[in-house]
Amino acid sequence: MTLGRALQADVLVIGSGAGGAPTAALAAEAGHDVVVLEEGPLVRQGEVVPFSLEQMGRQYRAGGVTPALGLPSITYTEGCCAGGGTEINSGLYRRPPVEVLTRWGLDDDAVTEIYAICDEVEKELSVQTVPGAQLPASEALRRGAADLHWRHDESPRWMEYPAGPAAWQGRRRSMTETYLPRAEAAGARLLTGHRVDRLIFDASRAVRAEVTTADGTPTTIDFRDVFVCGGAIQTPALLQRSGRRRGIGRTLAVHPTVKLTARFDDEVNVADDVPVHQVKEFAPDLSFGGSASNPGLVALALSDAWDRFGPAVTDWRHLAVYYAAITSVGRGRVTAVPGLRDPVVTYRLTRRDKQLLGQGLARLGLLLLEAGATEVYPAYRGAPVVRRPADLATVRATFSAGRASVMTVHLCSTVPFGDNDTAPAHPSGLLKATTNVWVNDASLLPDAPGVNPQASVMAVAIRNVRQYLEARR
Amino acid sequence: MPPFPSPRAVADFSDRLLAHDLPELPADRRRAAVDFAGRRIEGLPSPVRIGVGLVAATTSGLGRLAGPGRVVRFAARRPVPVLSEYVRLVRSLAYAFVWETWPDTAPDGTPAATAP
Repeated sequence: MTLGRALQADVLVIGSGAGGAPTAALAAEAGHDVVVLEEGPLVRQGEVVPFSLEQMGRQYRAGGVTPALGLPSITYTEGCCAGGGTEINSGLYRRPPVEVLTRWGLDDDAVTEIYAICDEVEKELSVQTVPGAQLPASEALRRGAADLHWRHDESPRWMEYPAGPAAWQGRRRSMTETYLPRAEAAGARLLTGHRVDRLIFDASRAVRAEVTTADGTPTTIDFRDVFVCGGAIQTPALLQRSGRRRGIGRTLAVHPTVKLTARFDDEVNVADDVPVHQVKEFAPDLSFGGSASNPGLVALALSDAWDRFGPAVTDWRHLAVYYAAITSVGRGRVTAVPGLRDPVVTYRLTRRDKQLLGQGLARLGLLLLEAGATEVYPAYRGAPVVRRPADLATVRATFSAGRASVMTVHLCSTVPFGDNDTAPAHPSGLLKATTNVWVNDASLLPDAPGVNPQASVMAVAIRNVRQYLEARR
Repeated sequence: MPPFPSPRAVADFSDRLLAHDLPELPADRRRAAVDFAGRRIEGLPSPVRIGVGLVAATTSGLGRLAGPGRVVRFAARRPVPVLSEYVRLVRSLAYAFVWETWPDTAPDGTPAATAP
C-alpha cells in the first residue's frame, strides 16, 4: 500500500520489527487509530531462501553490507522489511537474565512484570526447543562442549514445527506472522515502502512526520503520539535529523563476533538454517554458537586466508561456520550528517575486547577439534589451518582483531533509558524533553544484555506501550 | 551528478581482482560476479559509499600511473590499511556470489566438472 497524500493517526509507529509490531498491535487493540510506517517491503516467508543473497538483497538494509567504521570495522546487519530483524535473524530466544534487568535499574516488581510479559511472548511466538533431530552442525557443538565439560544448552526458538520434524522444517513465528497481523486485524494500517525523513516539532511536541515513499513521493502524516521503533541505528538517526541530539546515538552497544569454519568427516552443512546449541561456559563475556553456512557464506568465511583455506571450499558439504561472540565494553556512535541519507556508524573495540575475541576464537577451535573436526579455519588474515590443539598456540600468537572479519547482529543502546541525567529516555521510553515521543526498540536497552536481545526488546516494548495505554485511558 | 563511486572504476578493479584470485573462473561468471559486487557497492550506506568511492578513485588513478594490473596485485597481497578493506569488500561480495550461485566451483574458479 502506498499513498501520496497526507494522513492522520492517533498513534504513529515508525518501524515494524520486534519493538514496533507489538507496540502497534497493542495500541490498535486498545482502540487507537494506528499507522505503522515501514521503510522496507513486505516479503512473505517462503518467498526467499533464508540467509541467501536474494534475501539479503530484499530484506536487509543495503543488501547486508553495513559496516560500523573503526579499527577494525565491524560488519553489522539490519532488517529493512516488514517485521524488521525478526524476518532475517536466527529466531533464537533468550530471556534477559535477572542480573541484567537489575543492572538496568528495574526493581523487583518491574523484573516480575518483564518475566510475565516474557511468558506471554513465548506463547504468542511458540517459543520452544527443537522437538526432532538437531542439525549435525548443532550436534557437533553440543558434543564438543559436553566432552570438555563446558556449560552448554539448546537455545529455544520462536518456531512452529510440524510433528516429528528436524530443525530445518520449522516455520518462523516472526512479526509478519504474529503481531503485525494482530495489529492489522485491529484496524492498524501498515504502510511499507515509507521512509520517515524527519519529525516536525512544535516546542516539545512532535506533530508531523515527513515521509518519502519508495517511488520518491513526499508525503506527511500528522499524529497525536509517535513511537519510534526503527532499530538501534535508524532510531537515533531519525531523532538527530529531527533536531534531537542530546545523549542520542553515543552509546551503541553490540556483541562483536569472530568466526571460524570447521571441517568434519561427515556431511554437516545445512544451507538454510543455523545450529541452536550455544556454549555458555565463559558467559557473559564469551559465548559460542553456529552460523548460517550456505556455500557462499562458507566461501566468505574462508576468504581471509584463501591461499591456505580456499582448497577446503570444494568440500563445503563437510563444513560449518561457527562464531565466538563477546560482551564488549567498547562503544560506538550513530551520527546523522546533514546532506547524507544514511548515518555514519562507528565502533571502537577496547584492548580487552580485542583480546577476548582472540581467546574466544582459540577456545572455539579447541571445542570443535574436541567435537571431531579434522580441520579448523579461523577467519583472519594470515590464520593457520588448525589440525590439533597445539596449533591453537599459533592462533593465540597471530590473531589480531585488525586482521579479522568482525561482525555483529545485535545492536542496541543508542537511546538508552534511565533515571540519570545522561540517559536520553525515561524508563517508560518517553524521550526526555518531549511530551509525546516514545522510543520502543533495541535503542532503549541500557546496554547489550549478553544474550540474544529480541526477548528483552519485546518485553520492554510491551511493558512501555501498556503503561502508555494505561495513562491514555 | 555522476554516480560515486564510479561504477566503471569499481568494475575494473573487481574484474582484475577476481582474475587474479580466481584465474580459472570463466569470463561470463566473472562478469556476473563483478556486476553483483557493483550493485551491492552502489547500495552501500551513503557515508561508506563515499569512502569506497575515494579509495576506488585512488586505485584507479594509481592504476593509470603504475599499471592497473600491478596495483591490483599489490592490493591483493599487501594488507595496506583502508585499501585492504576495499579488497575485502569486493572479495566478500564476489566470493559469496560465486559459491552461492555455483557451489562446486574449485578454489581457482574452475567450474565443477560436467557430469557425463
